[in-house]
Amino acid sequence: MSRVRHFRNSSFQLALLYAGLFATSILVLFALTYRTAADYAAQDEADEIDVEFVAIQDEARLAGDERLVQIIANHLRQRSSEHAAYLLEDAGGQRLAGNIAARAPQLGPQTLRVPVDGQWRELRAHGYRLENGDYVLIGQDPRALRDMKHLIARAFGVNAAVTLLLAVLGGVIISSRALRRVEALGRTTQAIVAGDLSRRLPLRGTDDEIDRLSANVNAMLDRIEDLMRSVRQVSNDVAHDLRTPLTRLRQRLEQARRRGDASPRELREVLEGAIAQVDCILETFGALLRIAQIEAGGRGAARTALDISALLTGVVEDFAPAAADRGQLLLAEVASGLQLTGDREQLTQMLVNLLDNAIRHAGTGARITVSACAGTAALEIAVADDGPGIPAPERDNVLRPFYRLESSRTTEGSGLGLSLVAVIAKQHGATLALADNGPGLRVTIRFVKSGAAARPSDAPVTVSDVLAQR
Amino acid sequence: MRILVIEDDAETAAYLQGGLEEDGHVVTLAVDGRNGLMLAATGDFDVLVVDRMLPGLDGLAVVRTLRASSVGTPALFLTTMSGIDDRVTGLDAGADDYLVKPFAFSELAARVKALGRRPRATAVTATLLRVADLELDLIKRTVRRAGQPIALQPREFRLLEYLMRHAGQVVTRTMLLENVWDYHFDPRTNIVESHLSRLRTKVEKGFTPELIHTVRGAGYCLREPG
Repeated sequence: MSRVRHFRNSSFQLALLYAGLFATSILVLFALTYRTAADYAAQDEADEIDVEFVAIQDEARLAGDERLVQIIANHLRQRSSEHAAYLLEDAGGQRLAGNIAARAPQLGPQTLRVPVDGQWRELRAHGYRLENGDYVLIGQDPRALRDMKHLIARAFGVNAAVTLLLAVLGGVIISSRALRRVEALGRTTQAIVAGDLSRRLPLRGTDDEIDRLSANVNAMLDRIEDLMRSVRQVSNDVAHDLRTPLTRLRQRLEQARRRGDASPRELREVLEGAIAQVDCILETFGALLRIAQIEAGGRGAARTALDISALLTGVVEDFAPAAADRGQLLLAEVASGLQLTGDREQLTQMLVNLLDNAIRHAGTGARITVSACAGTAALEIAVADDGPGIPAPERDNVLRPFYRLESSRTTEGSGLGLSLVAVIAKQHGATLALADNGPGLRVTIRFVKSGAAARPSDAPVTVSDVLAQR
Repeated sequence: MRILVIEDDAETAAYLQGGLEEDGHVVTLAVDGRNGLMLAATGDFDVLVVDRMLPGLDGLAVVRTLRASSVGTPALFLTTMSGIDDRVTGLDAGADDYLVKPFAFSELAARVKALGRRPRATAVTATLLRVADLELDLIKRTVRRAGQPIALQPREFRLLEYLMRHAGQVVTRTMLLENVWDYHFDPRTNIVESHLSRLRTKVEKGFTPELIHTVRGAGYCLREPG
């Protein structure tokens, strides 16, 4: 992990930012403390000088002003270890006592520059005028103040250094850990981008933000993998299903070409066969397109409030003669006045496909019933017959595109009829169920009420999703 | 009939022209929308066959412009496999019929004929259709043949009405599904045949001559004998 990487890493940058903020606040705190402490110490020293003067004054009052020179000398001796300065001048400016040279009398606080051990040193000083007119100057080394300033500066300096060091160290440690995890995620996603859809992001089981994000991404990948699989399945199915009629078509045409002596009538038969074969292929494409269109076609695009009872009985009337021609009985058991919001053409096609299936597969003499009833929660439409039905293990399979039962493999048809029913049901927020009618098959479509039919679930509906329902 | 075909695909255009001329029509060809619009607006045609997708000006715009300038020549849209929305927008734009590619030529021929002779009504009055001795009363919703009343189911009545309105023309199974049943898809069950055979039994049995004929490979035709 290079150093540059650390600087680009967001958690490290965050750690640095915190360190900077810390350092700044320490600096501000230091400035305030330093200032307050310095002011306090300066005042303290000024007070000390005042106390010294008051002491000298008191002693002079007791012993008499003529003893002043002696008093100053005593004080000087007492504080010889400190760099204290004393000066006594008479009213005429004549130096009487002290350890510094005579100077023009100046009253009040002042700074005194004196040579100490060959060095110029600044002393804090105060000039006073005595009652007898003498001038007294007392100065002392602001050592306490200097020491305190040093102490404060050192304390804050160490503090700031330790804080910064800890912040940077912490930033490096935290960011390294985050970086390692993010890099692991990056490696996995790169593998996925490269085509390995089976890879999943690693989880630590800590349920922290990264774990939750990873879990979500994994769930998304599961779904994508599912979709990819079904798209593959569908295109396989399409290719496979079209192979047979295309092969037959090619055979017919090649046969006709080989037989150079074929009569016009024979050629015509071949051509008619070929056209029928092409129509069969086109029908498959048509059904696929229709499914795609219904899926893509805006939900609620052509939705209106429908008298579904009238629609159902109308279609049943249309189909009854054809059923009768096959010796079947087609009946409608539909409660009157049922309302449903939906696409008239799609719902018509849905019922037509179900009736097509029932009439084609239920067999001669079958009884086919279209029923509809509404409960409080849902409206149910059912198409039931008493034909051979579909064995339980096959019921889910028949919803797959192109799937045909072994028994009906020879009958024509695109094998997409029920897929279309499924997609129309899904677009209407309805569920499709195949069940045993004892005997026969019962297909139930259940529309959930309270406007739910007009607003299918928000989950996106995709081509392969619906096509590959199984 | 004089027919204007507006179609940009050369092969399809040649196929349409050849077939329609074989059927005895006079065909003019336009290869783009602008040219087609100009010809349609200035020429005297009985039917327009217009491809939906055209370079420059598309079929929808051609027909819409024609209708806006009060050119009422019947128009048939040709389009690639498509759904209800396309059909609705096409008809809204002012097209009279709609055919999805690929189609059997017989289907196109039948529809072109139906469009061209549209108002060739056998209507005696506005409310009574008559072909030979077969009468259909649109108001009373009754049917008589040779004066004898014939009872029909509602769907059979609509079927007969459509056939009589197009008397002498071939109507295809798809035309019947669209216009009589309002099904814009093809059920696998032969509902047209079943209804037609019942209608025939009711209208023809015991009467001569035969009026409803099956045209092999094309559809049905109700026509006066002779």
